Amino acid sequence: MVNSMVEIKKYSIQLGKFKLKNINLNICEKEIFAVLGRTGSGKTVLLESVAGFYRSFSGEVTIQGQQVIDIPLEKREIGFVYQDFGLFPHMTVYDNITYGLKIRRKDKEYKKKMADRMAEILSIGHILNQYPGTLSGGERQRTALARALILEPKLLLMDEPFSSLDPATKETMYQQIKKIHEIFGCTILFVTHDFNEAQIMADRIGIMVNGELKGIRKSADLFESYQDEEITEFLSGFQERRMCI
Amino acid sequence: MRKRFSVFDFFELFTIIITIIVIIFSSTLILAIVLKGLPYLGEAFYSEEVRFSIKLSLYTATISTVICMALAIPTAYALTRTSFPFKKLCQIIIELPLSMPYLVLGLSLLIIFSSDFGKALKSMGFKVVFDKNGIILAQTVVNLPYVIRFIRTAFEEVDERLEFISGSLGATKWERFITITLPLSKNAIITTIILAWSRGLGEFGATLMLVGATRMKTETLTTSVYLNLATGDTGASMASATVILIISLISLFVTNWIGKKNTQESRMKDVKSW
Repeated sequence: MVNSMVEIKKYSIQLGKFKLKNINLNICEKEIFAVLGRTGSGKTVLLESVAGFYRSFSGEVTIQGQQVIDIPLEKREIGFVYQDFGLFPHMTVYDNITYGLKIRRKDKEYKKKMADRMAEILSIGHILNQYPGTLSGGERQRTALARALILEPKLLLMDEPFSSLDPATKETMYQQIKKIHEIFGCTILFVTHDFNEAQIMADRIGIMVNGELKGIRKSADLFESYQDEEITEFLSGFQERRMCI
Repeated sequence: MRKRFSVFDFFELFTIIITIIVIIFSSTLILAIVLKGLPYLGEAFYSEEVRFSIKLSLYTATISTVICMALAIPTAYALTRTSFPFKKLCQIIIELPLSMPYLVLGLSLLIIFSSDFGKALKSMGFKVVFDKNGIILAQTVVNLPYVIRFIRTAFEEVDERLEFISGSLGATKWERFITITLPLSKNAIITTIILAWSRGLGEFGATLMLVGATRMKTETLTTSVYLNLATGDTGASMASATVILIISLISLFVTNWIGKKNTQESRMKDVKSW
């Protein structure tokens, strides 16, 4: 039997005028799950809800059976990669990557060994002494990934992680993320507005429309017919663009 | 190639003209004091009274700045990063002295510390009224709301998501504060320290109400300016004013130097205009 990593039951949250409505979702251990939706559909809010960012909501979000907000943030064992990567601007790439190890009072040699390992996996050995302000989009993303993965989290959450990358870098990053998934065996939940990306990367895809999770499919079955009109309309836009390409 | 003249050029020209007017005005103010005070400056440094006022001003401003920072950093953190009942009301009460004249603040302090409470403190050995402790208290009370507001703004500007990421990497609230919030507000905090110290050095109204103006006892630099002017000794008054000016200029240069030194590296650093 496959164990559940993330379970969301009847989850609703109101943030200003925006509302996330009655979300039900179950993500299995070691699964790669993509949430696909238009800008403003509530993808990031859903991701932040899984991370336990918000305190006022109805329903429940659990990670391995434990209510996420009952687990202190520092003990949740989640890696979070924001769309703008959220690197600590006052630290070098090396200090960013080894931040979690420093907090855990790991010795210098161990930090160096782990940083070198991450640098090798993600090809960032040449930028370890640089500050985030001097990096390109791809380098920033790989640094953010290295920082999140160095602690080998059981759950990796990524908010539109590839949106600011050029097509060639995107392809490289897809391969690197898959490699990371193989090496670390973590569960990955990421949000995207790119159906192509979702299909390449994810095992299953959830479709968000106006704050509601309207449908969940295996990646291969993404474009099979839906009864919901909003999903059909949303996906037909993608298909039209795909045909143009 | 000929450069086209646009409305933006007029805007730039307008801002430059205004800047020149402000520079002329500020320079005139500074020169008025420096030119009058410089001839008496050497003499002033040999005067025991001026040396006393310099020492007292530096001592009280330093202590009051340390107290302000020790109180303001936790308060600003609580106001920006925690939720508690009546937070908005608390913020208004904390910042209320910002809109009060310093004389009125000094009068309030005088009423409080002349009461039985003040007398009880005095009997325990902590004298406030007509004592240098009163100078420190007046400077603290006047500066605290400013310092809290500056640091609160600095904390608000730190992206809370960075603290969240830091927490997700295992940092406790204290570690998040020490490794993320504080370093990212460092420039603003250092600037606030220097400004609070300079303001403490220049404080007069509340101090006068609480500790009076007694020569060689509660005589700070600003009190020295006031006392000497009141007794017709314009030279000594100008000399004290020049000392204040020199100290203020040094602190301003230090603030700018620290600001430049701590500028984070950016890909935009070589881009001058666009």
